[in-house]
Amino acid sequence: MFRLHDVSYAHGGNRAGVAALSHISLDVAQGEFRWLLGPSGAGKSSLLSILSLEVQASAGMVEILGVPVMQARRSSLARLRRRIGTVWQDFRLLPDLSVFDNVALPLRLQHRAEDEIAHEVHAIMKWVGLESRLDARPLQLSGGEQQRVAIARAVIYRPALLLADEPTNALDERQAGRLMAMFHRLAELGTTIVVATHNDAIVEKYPAPAIELAHGHMVRDYR
Amino acid sequence: MARRRYHDGLALHQALPGQFLPFLVAAMSFLAALALAGGIAAHGLSQRWTHGAGAVTTVQVPGPDDPAAGSGTRVAAVQDILAHAPGIVAAHRLSDAELRGLLAPWIEQTGDASLPLPAVIEVHTAAGQDPMPPLLPRLEAIAPGVLVEHDSVWSDRLAALAASLQACALLAVLIVMTVAVCVVMAATRAGLQTRRQAIALIHSLGAMDSYISGRFASRVGLLALVGGLGGSLAALPMLLAMSHLAAPFSAMTDAQATAPMDWRDPRAWADIVPHALLWMLLALPPAAGITGWVTTQLTVRAWLRRLP
Ligand SMILES: Nc1ncnc2c1ncn2[C@@H]1O[C@H](COP(=O)(O)OP(=O)(O)OP(=O)(O)O)[C@@H](O)[C@H]1O
Ligand SMILES: [Mg+2]
Repeated sequence: MFRLHDVSYAHGGNRAGVAALSHISLDVAQGEFRWLLGPSGAGKSSLLSILSLEVQASAGMVEILGVPVMQARRSSLARLRRRIGTVWQDFRLLPDLSVFDNVALPLRLQHRAEDEIAHEVHAIMKWVGLESRLDARPLQLSGGEQQRVAIARAVIYRPALLLADEPTNALDERQAGRLMAMFHRLAELGTTIVVATHNDAIVEKYPAPAIELAHGHMVRDYR
Repeated sequence: MARRRYHDGLALHQALPGQFLPFLVAAMSFLAALALAGGIAAHGLSQRWTHGAGAVTTVQVPGPDDPAAGSGTRVAAVQDILAHAPGIVAAHRLSDAELRGLLAPWIEQTGDASLPLPAVIEVHTAAGQDPMPPLLPRLEAIAPGVLVEHDSVWSDRLAALAASLQACALLAVLIVMTVAVCVVMAATRAGLQTRRQAIALIHSLGAMDSYISGRFASRVGLLALVGGLGGSLAALPMLLAMSHLAAPFSAMTDAQATAPMDWRDPRAWADIVPHALLWMLLALPPAAGITGWVTTQLTVRAWLRRLP
């Protein structure tokens, strides 16, 4: 599903940059759910940005969904990104698009038919409980509502790999529970899921194998 | 529904506003049109003065009334050859009065009115042809000492002048095009900069480089096309007026040059405006559009390289 071998990464280039990850090796199979743990600044977001193809690792080998990322052409990376869904820590909703258009964006970029898009958007927004806010702008929503929109956008195109960075930090307990239930359902359906968090309570409540980072190093990879 | 297709967050109407770029492209197309028109006009005038009705060759026949090798006088024999040679439109022998008028300053100085004068024949050649050299041996045979003079000093100078005017026009067009490319690049970069978050997002959602560059390029191409159209239209009245003023000089025949013009007849306008000029005005907007499209494609693709 995805494999990292001896991967290092420095923000702002290899030499002058801040070392965010050192010598990470990982092997995660299809349909697995993994927590990604570690204190603030440990490198969780950095690892997710390598997996979501937002940055290139400075060294090592990265293979995602069978594609060797370091050698791949730009167009195959673009196609690969369409199979990876990401919930970013800062949501990254576009403020000048409506909630509907934000959630529809991945499908529009895949040139899906508009009636199919409308159907999918209504279904997923109903699921996250925001079907009445489709015409709102993201900034008119609360933090938790924005986070649910970001989650809806990440799962709407049924990604094979789902990456979520602190997806519950703005949610209440009930919403977080619903989200965890969805993640487990998606994993059963074959989606590989990595969820970064430093919320110990939720990890205790939903135990699952975890990757633990500290200062950019892997401290544990346990199941 | 179709309205929604481009709700991809690029918001190109904000990134590339529709007033600034067309206006600049229009101004530059206008300048390019004037420069090209100058080049075309220089070419037309040099054609007319070197090959057209303006090109006069004079043939001087000494001892015009002496008998020719065959029969008749020398001048009659020469006129006969000229009259039947291809490429010669008219051959007119200057009358004694015309000749004396021409030579008056010298004749008055010498005070000798009985000076033997050669016959002078003005030969008008067809546009673009120089029929004289092959005739020379025959003329020489029947009228020894015959002198053929082409106004080549002037036409050579005019040709050189026209060539340098054309080079200037070409240079001006190249400069205008370079400036236009720079303006399009700057506008595109500014547009990319204002939408960089949206671009980064749709890039990470799997948008191809070709999709993003195509969206920017079709917007800029359209704006440049509109600008080029504006520039062409703005240049049109000016070029028509200039063509009208230049018509008597660039007409290939004297009849065309002196005929009065019917202002309401569109065909009359089409006649006086060189066809190259009309084609140039027609070609300018698509050329501007294509230049804008290509420049934007390259600019956006280079910019996208910063994203992995
Ligand atoms: N854009 C950046 N430029 C420079 N350094 C960065 C950048 N982003 C992160 N870093 C540094 O990289 C290291 C890892 O950061 P990262 O965001 O991956 O941590 P994290 O585990 O996600 O933390 P948090 O739990 O607070 O989100 C930190 O030391 C951070 O300061
Ligand atoms: Mg983080």
